[in-house]
Amino acid sequence: VSAALSRRRLALLAAAGAATALARRAVGARTPPVGGAVDAEDLPAREASWYRKLPEERVECQLCPRGCQVADAERGACGVRENRRGTYVTLVHGVACTVHVDPIEKKPFFHVLPGSAALSWAAAGCNVECKFCQNWEISQFRPEQVPARWLPPEELAAAARRANAPLLAATYSEPVVFWEYVRDTALAARRLGLRTAVVSNGYIQEAPLAEVLPLLAAVKVDLKAFREPFYRDLVRGELKPVLKALETIRASGTWLEIVVLLLPTLNDSEQEIRDLARWVKATLGADVPVHFTRFHPTYRLTNLPPTPPSSLERAWRVARAEGLRFVYLGNVPGHQGENTVCPECGEVLIRRVGFTVRANAIRNGRCPRCSHAIPGVWS
Amino acid sequence: MRTRPPAGAGVRGPGPGVREEGTGDRGWTRREIAGLAAGALLSTRLARAGAGPLVRPGRVGLAELAAPPPGARLDRAAARAAIERALVAATGEPTAAKAMAALFSPSDTVGIKLNCLAASLSPRIELVEGLVALLREHGVAPGRIIVFERSDRELLRARYPIRRDGHDYRCFGVAGDWDSEPSISGAIGSCFARLVSTTCTALVGFGVVKDHDLAGISASLKNWYGVIHNPNKYHDNNCDPYVADVARHRFVRDKLRLTVVDGVTAQYHGGPAWRPDAAWPLGLVIASTDQVALDAWAWRTIDAERVRRGLPKVADAGRPPRFIATAARYGLGVGDPGALREVRG
Repeated sequence: VSAALSRRRLALLAAAGAATALARRAVGARTPPVGGAVDAEDLPAREASWYRKLPEERVECQLCPRGCQVADAERGACGVRENRRGTYVTLVHGVACTVHVDPIEKKPFFHVLPGSAALSWAAAGCNVECKFCQNWEISQFRPEQVPARWLPPEELAAAARRANAPLLAATYSEPVVFWEYVRDTALAARRLGLRTAVVSNGYIQEAPLAEVLPLLAAVKVDLKAFREPFYRDLVRGELKPVLKALETIRASGTWLEIVVLLLPTLNDSEQEIRDLARWVKATLGADVPVHFTRFHPTYRLTNLPPTPPSSLERAWRVARAEGLRFVYLGNVPGHQGENTVCPECGEVLIRRVGFTVRANAIRNGRCPRCSHAIPGVWS
Repeated sequence: MRTRPPAGAGVRGPGPGVREEGTGDRGWTRREIAGLAAGALLSTRLARAGAGPLVRPGRVGLAELAAPPPGARLDRAAARAAIERALVAATGEPTAAKAMAALFSPSDTVGIKLNCLAASLSPRIELVEGLVALLREHGVAPGRIIVFERSDRELLRARYPIRRDGHDYRCFGVAGDWDSEPSISGAIGSCFARLVSTTCTALVGFGVVKDHDLAGISASLKNWYGVIHNPNKYHDNNCDPYVADVARHRFVRDKLRLTVVDGVTAQYHGGPAWRPDAAWPLGLVIASTDQVALDAWAWRTIDAERVRRGLPKVADAGRPPRFIATAARYGLGVGDPGALREVRG
C-alpha cells in the first residue's frame, strides 16, 4: 500500500522546498557543518510552513490543533517554533537530537518490511505533555536544551542508505513539531529510493497532515486512550482531532498502525477497550493493526505499577472478540501476542520475540497455507 | 504564546471553543477576592513570626531615577543611589547596608535572575551592578554572586558580559544545566535550573515593568518562568495558576529574599517583546521583599498608563493577571492593590 505522488505534486513540493530555503536566508539562519554539533545559543532557524500572520507582529500556528497565537519573541506550546518579528520560524529543521538504526519492530510496525532496519531520528519537542512520556528527556525540552547535530534532510537520507536501512522513521519525540523536517527528509529519501515512516501522537491539523501523507509509507499513531478526560488530564491534548487524523491517514492509503499504551486503572477498562475496538473496526476497518503495550512508571507518573500482563491479555481478547484481525501485545517479550497470525486459517505467519523476527512465512503478501492476503507493506 | 486550550482543559480555563480573549469579560470571583484577602492575612502573620530574612508584606519601595537620553547609559553613581533608596524604602531599615544585612548572609550564594527577553527593555546593568556592589560590601564573595538568565545569548543582547569566574560577580545563562528529574508544584511539573535548586542559597528577582501578551503583565512573578525547563507548556489560561505554582515551589519560595524591577523605562502595551512605541519613562526603581505586592503595583501602574492613553485595562483586553490573586491565595504575598503600602525613598 503506498500513496501515488504525481509529477505535478512533486514539482509543487520541490517549489515549496526552494521557497523555504529562501525564507530561511531571510530570517538570518546560520548553519554548522553537516554532522557537527548545533550551537544551543544560535539554533538554525527557518520559516515555518504552516502559520498565518496576525496584526501587531503576532502569528497563529496552523500546524497542530492547539492553534497557538504567539506574540513577538515568544514560542508556541511545542517550544520549537518562535515568532521573530512576525515571522514564525522552526528551530528544529535539520537539528537532530537522536539518530539510531533500529529494527522496525521497535517503532512498532509489524506489517511494514518485517525484520528491516529503520534509520530513526528525532528533534526535540512535543505539542502535548503526557505525564507518562517515555522519552520526556527530549520531548519535553526545548531544542537549545538538548544536544543536537546538524543533519539536513539529504544527509539523513544518505545516512540511511549507508546503513542499508530501506526506511527512515521520524520517532522518539513528536514528529508533528518538526513536520517540515519530516516532509523534506521524506522527499530526499524518495530521491534515493528509500521510504519514510512516522511515529506520532496524531495531534495535527488536517492540512499539514494531508500535505505530507503522500510522501509517507507508513504512520503509527499513539492513541493514548479513548476518553477525552484522559487526554485533558494526562496528555494536555484532545482525543477528537486525533480520531480525525486517524481517519485521514486511513483514507489516504498510507499504511496505518495504532499503539495503545495501557496504564493500569486509567485507560485499561474492558469497556474502554471495547469502545476503542468498535470504533477502529467501524471507522478504519478490521485490518488496521492495534498494539496494546505495557506501561512502565516514568516522568510524572511514577505512582502506578507496570501494566499487569493480565490487563494486556484482557485487552487483546476484547479487541479480537470485537472483530479486529491484527491485535498485538508489546513490551512483553515472548508472548504469543507478538506474532502475526492469519485471520483466515490461524496459521502463525510471523514469529517475534521482542523486536526480533524469528520466522516470516508471508509470501507475496499472502498466507502460505490458505493464500489469504495479509495487509501491509511487505516489499 | 496564546493557545486555544483543549475542550474543558485548564484549572479554570474557558469552555470548549471559547477563545481566551473572552476571559476578560468576567469579573473577579468571590473565591479570587477571598484569595487576595487571605494572602494579605497570611503574609502579615509571616512578617510577625520574625524568623529568617526580613519580609515586609505589601510594602513597595520606590526611588526616582530619570531615564537617560536615548542611546545613553545610566550614570553609575545615580543608579547605585537609586538602588539604595529603593532598598531602604522597601525594608524600612535606616540604611542600605542594614537592609542588606537584614536580607542576606555574607555566606550566601546569591543568584540574581534577570529578565532580558526583550533585550532593549532589560534591567540596566548599572542598576544590577549597584546591587552587586552592595552585596560585595556586605561581605558576599564575588564567586558567590551570580547574575543569570536563561541563555548567554539573552545576556549578551542586553549588553551583559559573560563571566564564569573572576571579577566582582559571575554572569551567565543556565543553558542546559537542569535538574535530572522534574519537580511537581501544583499544576506544573518541571526541571529547575540547578543554579536555583542547588547552587544558590538566596535569590533576587530583577525584572522590568511591562505588558505581557498572555500573562497580562510581567514584573516579578513571571520572571521565574526562566528557571524551569518547560515554560512553553504553561501559557494557557493567562499563565494561571502556573506562574504562582513556580513561585511557590520551595526552590523559589524559600530562597527569594528581594525583588527589584527597573522601572526607569516601562512598557504599557505589546509585550513581552520590546516595543519602543509603547514604552514610557516611568522614572522609578522599585524594590520589595513581597514579590506579589510588587506585581500588584506593576499591574496598577500599567493599567493607569493604558487608561491614560485610551487603551483598555489589561483585564479588559482579555488577559487578566489572575496569577497575582493565586499567588496571594498561596500566601506568597499581598495581591490586593488596595492593601499595598507605597514608600518613597
